[in-house]
Amino acid sequence: MTPPPDTTVNGWDAIGAAQLSLSATSVDKYESSGQQAAEIAMNDAGARDSILGCVPQSSSDPQCMNAFVAQFGRRAWRRPLSADEQNSWASVGNGAAAAYGDFYKGAAFVIAGLLQSPNFLYQIEIGEADPTSPGRLRLTGNELATRLSFFLTGSTPSEELMSAAERGELESAEGIRLWAETLVNQPGSREAMAHFFDELFQLRDLSQMSKDPVAFPSFGPALASAMRDETQHLLDSLVWDQDGDFRRFFDADYTFVNQDLAALYGVAVPPMCDGFARVTLPADSLRGGFLGQAAFLALMAHPTTSSPTLRGKFVREKLLCQNIPPPPPNVDTNLPNTEGMTTRQKLLAHRQNPSCASCHVLMDDIGLGLENFDAIGQFRTTDSGQPIDASSALDDLGSFTGARELGALLAAQPQLTECLTRNLFRAATGHVDTLGESAPLNQVHASFAASGFSFKNALVETAASEAFRFGAAQAASSQ
Amino acid sequence: MKRFPLNRRTLLKGLGAAVALPTLDAMLNSHGTAYADGAPVPKRFATFFFGNGVILSRWRPAATGPSWSLTEELAPLVNVKSYVNVVSGYKIKIPNLRGHHTGAAGILSGYPFIALPPGGAPYNSKFGGPSVDQIAADAIGTTTTFPSIQIAVSKRLTRGEGPTLQFISHRGPDSPLPQEFNPAALFSRLFASFTAHDPTDPRDRLRASVLDAVKEDTRRLQAKLGASDRARLDAHLESINEVRSRILALPPVLTSSCVLPDPPTEDNHDIGGIEQLESVSRVMSDLLALAWACDLTRVASYQFSGSVGSTVYSAIGQTDGEHSLTHDAQRQNDVHAAVVYVMNRFAYLLEKLKASQEGSGNLLDNSCILFSSDVCEGLVHSITDYPILVVGRAGGFFKYPGIHHRSMTSDNTSDVLLTCLRAVGANVDSVGSEGGLSTALSTGIIA
Repeated sequence: MTPPPDTTVNGWDAIGAAQLSLSATSVDKYESSGQQAAEIAMNDAGARDSILGCVPQSSSDPQCMNAFVAQFGRRAWRRPLSADEQNSWASVGNGAAAAYGDFYKGAAFVIAGLLQSPNFLYQIEIGEADPTSPGRLRLTGNELATRLSFFLTGSTPSEELMSAAERGELESAEGIRLWAETLVNQPGSREAMAHFFDELFQLRDLSQMSKDPVAFPSFGPALASAMRDETQHLLDSLVWDQDGDFRRFFDADYTFVNQDLAALYGVAVPPMCDGFARVTLPADSLRGGFLGQAAFLALMAHPTTSSPTLRGKFVREKLLCQNIPPPPPNVDTNLPNTEGMTTRQKLLAHRQNPSCASCHVLMDDIGLGLENFDAIGQFRTTDSGQPIDASSALDDLGSFTGARELGALLAAQPQLTECLTRNLFRAATGHVDTLGESAPLNQVHASFAASGFSFKNALVETAASEAFRFGAAQAASSQ
Repeated sequence: MKRFPLNRRTLLKGLGAAVALPTLDAMLNSHGTAYADGAPVPKRFATFFFGNGVILSRWRPAATGPSWSLTEELAPLVNVKSYVNVVSGYKIKIPNLRGHHTGAAGILSGYPFIALPPGGAPYNSKFGGPSVDQIAADAIGTTTTFPSIQIAVSKRLTRGEGPTLQFISHRGPDSPLPQEFNPAALFSRLFASFTAHDPTDPRDRLRASVLDAVKEDTRRLQAKLGASDRARLDAHLESINEVRSRILALPPVLTSSCVLPDPPTEDNHDIGGIEQLESVSRVMSDLLALAWACDLTRVASYQFSGSVGSTVYSAIGQTDGEHSLTHDAQRQNDVHAAVVYVMNRFAYLLEKLKASQEGSGNLLDNSCILFSSDVCEGLVHSITDYPILVVGRAGGFFKYPGIHHRSMTSDNTSDVLLTCLRAVGANVDSVGSEGGLSTALSTGIIA
């Protein structure tokens, strides 16, 4: 039994989770997951007493039940329980223990219940008045510890962090910065950020991607999975191994391949078993950086053909935080017979319609420079039997041919790294940044730049920023 | 002072309500039209939805009235034609602000969709009001174990543009209802209560008491929150109540048409990257017919494929996602073939319902199934002359044999929604809002 899947809104699961309510199907799944987790915990005779925090003296031991509810409740809900809550859950546990004549079975119902409670399922942020700035709300220590811990480690705060928060250690930017630096260097942070990148770059969609089996016989679930791994390997290397300039993610002259990807890219690799090896790409390669990786090129394509439009839309929306207006209603997209035309020729024919051209130029001209890469990211020199022209000139970015040059143009744009800091903030807080939050987020970006674009720095500075610690005017929130 | 919005995280890795007994044949009167005690046979409602529209010239019958003939795209319905009312000439009247979003929200709810301000984030929208199946669930789903169920077949949905395109059932703007893609899982959920309970095991009673304590937690939390978050938790409480009554529900009684089959093995996993659409939809349709026959629910939504869906119809030799096909003027024959494929799957469901005896009739005699899509024709995102089928007699409410009812005045598609709701006994006066508001029935299809 798995918990229900999340729903993405405005690009982020966290934003969906902050807006949508839970259906009966979801509540059902939380109920079963909670019961299952509880049974596993209490059936493990070696571990259960340490989960309980006390050794029950009999099948009914109200004192031990009370201590357990207090300790486990604080851990699961990321705050101490109120007296009402404490009584309510101790009574559930004592009742169930009596019904079964078994303390552990009773405790299992407490675990299952605490894990279905809204106090566990929701990241509750009531806030409190900020004594230093009347009229402003700040997160309480426990709330801030929770937000910080989910953001940087993907999990509930440790006992040490909660205690530190309760001592007031997170009340200053400097205090939270110290804790953020500690958390970023814990192993959970790598995994949490891998999840962030999966969402940002839509890598989760790879497992659902369809490709034409006739045109691409080499494509299958194993290759799709390797595509995701390649992107994560490059990120891992840049962020965690090197703590290097994050902009190199877009124009790196090396990448990580396994045998399947090496064959796809036509690069030579040393013999290896199942793993990934770092390879340097030829100096004249059009590949390089994320935009030359199969994950991006294949995701932003159709099952049989490339899609300059989808590739350009992704760059504008996800990498530069720009909006593309919708296609106008009732536009006749009927084209003259495009049989035998290259994708470039078809898109240019499409642009004869001025109501299409103004937006398509924004997207297509980015993707047209990537036309040497087909629908699964293989290099090609012809399209529909004609030689490919992959040169492109953009009003705002400049001229380029191929992924590496495009990546270098993007890396020179402050919008690229500004957009990344905004996306980090959206994932961390569950809302699209508002105008009132732009000043503190600009400061985060300035620090990110000053650090030579160390991603770890962006994480720490996001956590320390006022936008992260204080309530902001939310358009969607209620009074 | 502004509040923080209530956020939620997925963290886990790793009695009271009266629940109706299912229908017993012996409880029906000799005509099968009502229970022996005079209570009417239950009516059922479903929406059946597929993405990217039809090819109108190959969909719409030429003749109107009773003498219509099956067209190329309607041909699969040959064995149930007398139960089909074809509705044409209607128009989606909510503002046409974005292709597919407008059609999906219009035909499923009649409320204008709500655009979620992007602020540099990708475009998203959500429904502006409840979908029609949920209005039906509030009216006719209150006494069954499941108020409604949400079935889906193709997993190739557009998930990046918000709830409007991803889901077809919505309790309200912030409450989309997730679909079940996995027939084996749906079977477990629907029929779990068929397994005999050990009356000496206190487990179910204790699970219910846990949910009672969770409800107390929820109410305590609500007192600290703002209005919109309180409303979200009201929806959460409603969900808890539903799960709680399900845990305590009496096991259904097997009858001649409510026969428990072996658990299905189909779990909707792709084979070699190819979706098993036919097998999945067949099992899903069998389960829906069974859920209705056993009176476990009276309302369903059935998403065969999604709005802007990129379903690949591999079984008919296609290799491209359907949405991209619709936008290629040279590939409209492929779009047509995909529509015919969907109609064959829809026909399977209808024939299954027709084969399920209920009294002297069958399930199709007592149901209303609204069939439509997110656009009229995908090539141009049109929303006029919408493709709509209303299938089933709903206990004699609709014309039988069905006719081709064509509006010559671009009537509101919401009229059809209101008519379906009234057909299954929902006592509502209107559907939708703004341009999508309807207070008028499509009298042309009413018997």
